[in-house]
Amino acid sequence: MTATTLAAVPAGTWTIGAPRLLAGLDRYATIDYGAHLALHGPLPHADRARLTALLEDVALTGRGGAGFPLAAKLRTMPHGQGTVIVNGSESEPASFKDRTLLRRAPHLVLDGAIAVAAALGARQVTVAVHDRPAALAVRRAVSERGDCAHVRVAQTHAGFVGGEARALWRGLAGGPALPLGRRVHLTQHGTLLSNAETLAHVAVALRLGPHRFRDSGTHAEPGTTLLTVGGAVARPGVVEIPLGTPLGIVLSAAGAAVPQAVVVGGYHGSWQARPDIQLCHANGLGAGVISVLDGSTCALGELARVASWLAAQSTRQCGPCRFGLPALARDVAGIVAGGDVATAIHHAQVVQGRGACHHPDGAVRFVMSGLHLLREETVRHRTAGGCGRPIRGQLVVPT
Amino acid sequence: MSRLEIDWTRCDGHGLCAELLPGQITRDEWGFPVLAPTVDDTYAARRAAALCPALALRLEVLGEDHLGARASLQYTSTR
Repeated sequence: MTATTLAAVPAGTWTIGAPRLLAGLDRYATIDYGAHLALHGPLPHADRARLTALLEDVALTGRGGAGFPLAAKLRTMPHGQGTVIVNGSESEPASFKDRTLLRRAPHLVLDGAIAVAAALGARQVTVAVHDRPAALAVRRAVSERGDCAHVRVAQTHAGFVGGEARALWRGLAGGPALPLGRRVHLTQHGTLLSNAETLAHVAVALRLGPHRFRDSGTHAEPGTTLLTVGGAVARPGVVEIPLGTPLGIVLSAAGAAVPQAVVVGGYHGSWQARPDIQLCHANGLGAGVISVLDGSTCALGELARVASWLAAQSTRQCGPCRFGLPALARDVAGIVAGGDVATAIHHAQVVQGRGACHHPDGAVRFVMSGLHLLREETVRHRTAGGCGRPIRGQLVVPT
Repeated sequence: MSRLEIDWTRCDGHGLCAELLPGQITRDEWGFPVLAPTVDDTYAARRAAALCPALALRLEVLGEDHLGARASLQYTSTR
């Protein structure tokens, strides 16, 4: 697996509603420990029972894509030992929110990780990051504070699937950064692994308490979440929104003129056309990537490029993914060239649910929701041999 | 009730399981097994699991523990 570089890096941050994680970033390029304490105040202590109850109260779910409840992970951890791993590898190509936090507001993430480790009695915290500036920023932040003797920063080198929780865990332990074939619960191995943004929300929840935390978001999914908004928008960047904000509000705030299609949740996510869907994990928000395509690009061609990239991300461990995703990518390329959708549907069904990790399922969801949303385009390509538009690369594919 | 489980990281598509359990397992176009949702002949399924050359097939008893945490409840091939 080779290192990936981003074609375009969204620089700006903006918010809808009051910022929590992005607080202060309108004034500071990076928030050092002094500024962090001035902005947020000291980190309250919470023992295991109190922290678990708090996380349950605020229904905090993982922001790495899977949306698993953090309180459930805490409950199954052993007592007085173990490791906390902060997953900051952010392998979703168009996502930039974890890197933004780690580069510019690393103390919130450290607060969350340290609080969880203290509550569990865990002896080590590992911050796993892929991005070099983020690794440097976290190391600098660790050196600024006196409560980080047990924190180490590990720079990882794995690709898309290498950021999957079990693959990351194996890689950090010195093994191959590949998903496991058997179902293993990391907490049973004394490891609590959580996404960087999730832990920053822990730091916020500890300070706000359950009632004020619930001032934002929906009843089922309280609080805020980070998005990475990109593609055909006037204001790309990392955005903090209350959970449940309708997609259309985010699109108008981002200056998306006339979207042809929107991909919600990254390249394991789905293609959406309805501006009234509420952005929350129940609606497939995933890791919070919102990619907008306007009418100037060949959307089917964009879909085919990403399908081919997804096929190349297979770690080639599992046969159906290794052979099925390239077959599916060829089918989609064939549809762009005017072919029929039937073989693509067949290959999608063959691949689905047949792998050690969720990469084949996520890839199938992305491709099939795209073909469904772009069904009129598939007809146009079949009857007219194409749409006459170039592929502008509004869906970022790492080079 | 029981069901067959495949460790996809181990399976090389030898196809022995499909030979041993023709009603339960078919093969996709690349030779990898496609399973029926549940198993009706537990004895034959257990035998197929034990004979898998890649040790990739496992018979799991349904209704007990879907998460595989209690390995004692599963009939696993010897590893």
